[in-house]
Amino acid sequence: MNHLSEEELIAHAYAEDDSNAVQQHLLACAECAKAYSALGSDLADIKFAEAPPRDSAYGHRVWESLAGSLPALSYAAAGIALVVCAFLGGRLWEHRHAQTIAQNHVQQHEPTVQQPPQRIVVVVLSDHLDRSERLLVELKHAEGGSVAFPLRDEARSLLEANQICRKNAKQDDDRALSTALDRLDRLLVELANQPDGLNSQTISRLQDEMNVDGLLFEVRVLRSRQAASSTHPKGDTI
Amino acid sequence: MDKNDQAAIGAVLAGDKDAYGALVVGHSARLFRVAFRITGNEADAEDVVQEAFLRGYRKLESFESRSDFGTWIYRIAVRCALNKISGQRMDENSRVGEESNRQQHEVQLADWAAGPERLVLSGEIGAMQEMAMSSLTPTERTAFVLRHIEDCTSEEIASALGIEPNAAKQAVFRAVQKLRRRLAILRVKI
Repeated sequence: MNHLSEEELIAHAYAEDDSNAVQQHLLACAECAKAYSALGSDLADIKFAEAPPRDSAYGHRVWESLAGSLPALSYAAAGIALVVCAFLGGRLWEHRHAQTIAQNHVQQHEPTVQQPPQRIVVVVLSDHLDRSERLLVELKHAEGGSVAFPLRDEARSLLEANQICRKNAKQDDDRALSTALDRLDRLLVELANQPDGLNSQTISRLQDEMNVDGLLFEVRVLRSRQAASSTHPKGDTI
Repeated sequence: MDKNDQAAIGAVLAGDKDAYGALVVGHSARLFRVAFRITGNEADAEDVVQEAFLRGYRKLESFESRSDFGTWIYRIAVRCALNKISGQRMDENSRVGEESNRQQHEVQLADWAAGPERLVLSGEIGAMQEMAMSSLTPTERTAFVLRHIEDCTSEEIASALGIEPNAAKQAVFRAVQKLRRRLAILRVKI
């Protein structure tokens, strides 16, 4: 007789299986019945803290804190549309003006007074790539010790922005950006989850496993691309 | 969907952003509960609630009216909570055993309390549970909370986390396995 696996027992405990076969087996097999009983006991032992009670005014307080910061919905929708346009523009601009990327990269740092709204959205991604590049450079040259906490904190800070950028890139079917941000995400998660300081072994492992050099190159290329799209309004309005 | 929710959404989409207040008031408490269970922290849970409603507002135009707003905003809150713990996953292991943590878990299991020995034991159990939970990845923890506490199905967990149902099932399975291994130590000690 084949005994039930732990996975099958767990699925049965959570009523995830829809057949009677497991139940029948448990009735016939004392060993599995014992294992199932132990599992049930373990699960029953796992208790969570009750959520602190919220009074009836809680919802109103949440609303009060939110109300002032909500944009008009049409602006919110326009913002989403602008992000999509910005990504599309950036990709097309890369194809049309590849030879001017380096020059445009320099121009990105010029003052942006009275820029149209599209550029503001692009700068958000540019800023994210800029910060990511700095983190990668720091990691590339890190040797352990004092760099540990700034790297970890910066990785945590970048994680959420990276998720938003990844989502937009996927929606836009921008594979180059999406792939690079996926790789960046794995690195950020690794860095963010380091329990203690990064020692030289961990740094070396991350540098190798995550191919920090390659990722840094990709981020720089993407930055250049964003710089090109943000300094050429035509690219944003396609 | 609740008719009041439907009316409020219609009003918001028509330009009356104050109508969103009714949705916030009506769903905040539930969102706070699930956010607290996932983050394990009151302040973080409150942040998650606010972020979820803000994201919900921005995405409201993509909300399908045949869906249930409560379910929709709940999923957004779960994602926000997952993001929160993904970004914050720190050295929880090193915290186990600290006095503050022990006190927290004595409160958590206060209904057990029947005397000093019981309180000491409950604090130890709480610390062990927290250590066991800290061994889970953010996705495993979230999936486990949704399955074990919120009674969500694998499909619901998958939908909330944006993963395949089988991946959700596996996340719960791995979580239970890890927790059992860790908590086996507790049984030996007791």
